[in-house]
Amino acid sequence: MRRSGRALSTCVACLIAGCGGAPSAGPASPSPPHSVFVVGSEPAAAQVLARGLDDTPRSMDPQLVNDVPGQRVADDLFEGLTVVDIGGRPSPGVASSWDSDANGRTWTFHLRPDARWSNGAPLTAADFVYSWRREVDPRTAANYAEGLAPIVNALDIATGHKPPETLGVEALDSRTLRVHLNGPTPYLLDLLAQQYLYPVYAPAIQRYGDEWVRPEHMVCNGAFTLRENVIGSRITLEKNPRYWDARHVRLQRVTYYVLPSRADQAARYLADDLEWTDSFAANQRNWLKSIVGDEAVNSPYFGAYFLGMNVTLPPFKDNLPLRLALTLALDREPLVFYMRQGMYEPAYTWMPPLPGYQQPIPDWQRMGDAERHALARKLYRQAGYSEQHPLRLALSIPSQDSDSRHFFEAITASWTSLLGAQVTLDEMEFKVLAQDRTLHKLPFFFDAWIGDYPDPYNFMQVRYTGNGNNNAQYSNPAFDRLIDAAGEEPDNLKRYQLFEQAERILDDDAPYIPLYYYATRHLVKPYLRGWQSNIVDRNLSRYMYLLEHHRR
Amino acid sequence: MLRYTVHRLLGAIPTLLVIVTLAFLLLHAAPGGPFDSDKHILPEIQQSIEAKYHLNEPLARQYLRYLADLLRGDLGPSYQYRSTSVNEIVAQGLPVDATIGLTAIVLALLAGCAIGVNAALHRGRPWDYGTMALAVLGISTPVFVVAPLLILIFAIGLHWLPSGDWVRGSPSHLLLPAVALALPYTAYIARMMRASTIEVLNSPFIRTARAKGLPWRLVVWRHALRPTLTPLISFLGPAIAGLMTGSIVVESVFGLPGIGRYFITAALNRDYTLVIGITVIYGALIILFNLLADLCYAWIDPRVRLQ
Repeated sequence: MRRSGRALSTCVACLIAGCGGAPSAGPASPSPPHSVFVVGSEPAAAQVLARGLDDTPRSMDPQLVNDVPGQRVADDLFEGLTVVDIGGRPSPGVASSWDSDANGRTWTFHLRPDARWSNGAPLTAADFVYSWRREVDPRTAANYAEGLAPIVNALDIATGHKPPETLGVEALDSRTLRVHLNGPTPYLLDLLAQQYLYPVYAPAIQRYGDEWVRPEHMVCNGAFTLRENVIGSRITLEKNPRYWDARHVRLQRVTYYVLPSRADQAARYLADDLEWTDSFAANQRNWLKSIVGDEAVNSPYFGAYFLGMNVTLPPFKDNLPLRLALTLALDREPLVFYMRQGMYEPAYTWMPPLPGYQQPIPDWQRMGDAERHALARKLYRQAGYSEQHPLRLALSIPSQDSDSRHFFEAITASWTSLLGAQVTLDEMEFKVLAQDRTLHKLPFFFDAWIGDYPDPYNFMQVRYTGNGNNNAQYSNPAFDRLIDAAGEEPDNLKRYQLFEQAERILDDDAPYIPLYYYATRHLVKPYLRGWQSNIVDRNLSRYMYLLEHHRR
Repeated sequence: MLRYTVHRLLGAIPTLLVIVTLAFLLLHAAPGGPFDSDKHILPEIQQSIEAKYHLNEPLARQYLRYLADLLRGDLGPSYQYRSTSVNEIVAQGLPVDATIGLTAIVLALLAGCAIGVNAALHRGRPWDYGTMALAVLGISTPVFVVAPLLILIFAIGLHWLPSGDWVRGSPSHLLLPAVALALPYTAYIARMMRASTIEVLNSPFIRTARAKGLPWRLVVWRHALRPTLTPLISFLGPAIAGLMTGSIVVESVFGLPGIGRYFITAALNRDYTLVIGITVIYGALIILFNLLADLCYAWIDPRVRLQ
């Protein structure tokens, strides 16, 4: 449920961006250059990794982390009952096994006996009880307290109606944890690998208060410990010898370098000062590909980039033809291909592709351009607009994101040329845009959604009546009923089918204009191994290692 | 002189109070709060977060609370970087900015003065035209061009120096950022020194000195140099304060842990305490260095009387 990962940060125009920034005609596929590195087959003697990070983590306290950079670091320092594996799927973490009752409402987790804190103290089921209660306790003031909603009483505690002790989690003994859920939660194992469900060490928090996250005080349970935190610059981690799986952790040290400008990250990478970047700029893709070839890696990411239309405000209120006309008028393939360097997948429906899930692609996707354009024009006229009375409307977009502005300009130009609609761009400071969107003041706005864990519920809940992130104020009882039914359905296949039906209703109602699905983007040195692109874009340093190498 | 200094320092207090008040009011007047996010949170959770930071109190009370904390030297907790105080951020960042800023100003002074005075002494000759053309280029080339260019040449191309990061006491990490910061200042100082040297060399007391039969070198070193520094000093006061609080561009490009970048990011994130904190520090430094500049005037130019 995190939103577009990059927190607000200045994007400094950079000469290096200029070098490669000149948008060439589409994503030409340059012949991959010969790697400048000779990579051996043996592990390198110095297992020291330098990773780029898109922004300063908001906190080192996993329960307060609500940003992607914070999650990256928390993933290395802490470990939950489950942990994401190299492919981004949940696998046994602190819990070595688990079982659930027939209706999926009560789960029992068996903690591994060798799980310990970095100070050597044993990690027990009581630590999880303490940590989860702390997360939902209003005094902790954690943004993600709502993330524990599937657990009995979590929401009542977070909203101050019940004491934290009533949370549906109990330590049967030091190695056994029982969790009581409100309903079957098929994504529970994914959820448990989220940073806000990581355990934290009570004695350190009780002794040092907020300062427990300082390197000298922090006690953690992950593959690495915190050695140094230079705010806004770098975070250095060292291998935790007391980690239960320490013998499989090859890196001795990991340093995260905070570089909010993607161009700066690319520059540091090219200077061999980083082995891994958190991302790279879309407009540098072709240039980077021409220099580093396959070291620039893209893969699907569980996020969607779209435009929201508030269905309770004019001109979209009770005007389905207009919403559809604007949706159909866009030629997504060329738009994404030319304006986004072909880095992303054009979107025709709400949720990004997910294994096992049949995307309900709308019929108009299969139409030829001419047919689709004609239909868009017809719908536009049906909506009550014409050349003499064109649609005049402002699209609210964030001002910080200069990278996207050209993309939005291309979209509005498409509407002008095809329909004659006069859509202007209204650039707003991001905080203001976010606030106005939540307060439902904007009729037409940029929006994005990134799923925390790969489950359709993560996306579908956003469109549920009254959901706090339902910025379009969409409401359809038929859609809500299907989501409710999916919530009670223990069989995943049937559950997915219910979501597919719901998504079809959503697409027919068109409260949003799908544009594209996000992609992960990293620059990775050829001698860095132990990672795989994955849909949640979580790549733990725990699995990574370096091979012998030298420059040609 | 002592009375004058004390007087000026006392006068700084109301100025700083005005700065704090304006910053406080402007920030709170801006739409969107520090804990408004693009992801919705339950109103009750939002309230408990705001209550933790006293943001639910009336504005006047928040203001008085802030002032009381400020008097104790407590700049408050950062809202954006949770479990971190503004004091910590400043204590970590300011020394970095000060080191780079002061190195840059020393580089700029040494190079700028040498180039400027030499240009004045060789007025109208190729050396003069050449260096001044370079100076114009230096002034008009922004840091966001110079800094990446330096990285491109010395880090990516030649692999001589690191492309960024900060290691305390490491000259190789200091060099590129300091040079990037120093270049435009060098150019400014060179032009300024050229103009003031030319002016001073034409003044009557230089003519007198030469008429006495003093050798040219002595005239320049002993008589001309000191008065040429006057315009430089009024420039250096605010320039040093600015350099010491960091350059947004240089910090981001080289990934330095300074405080300069927060002038923008903290404001955009509505991190009220962090913005006000660094604004107060910047204001105090400006006042301090302007005072030092005025004191220097009196030392350099006997005609100046401090009152």
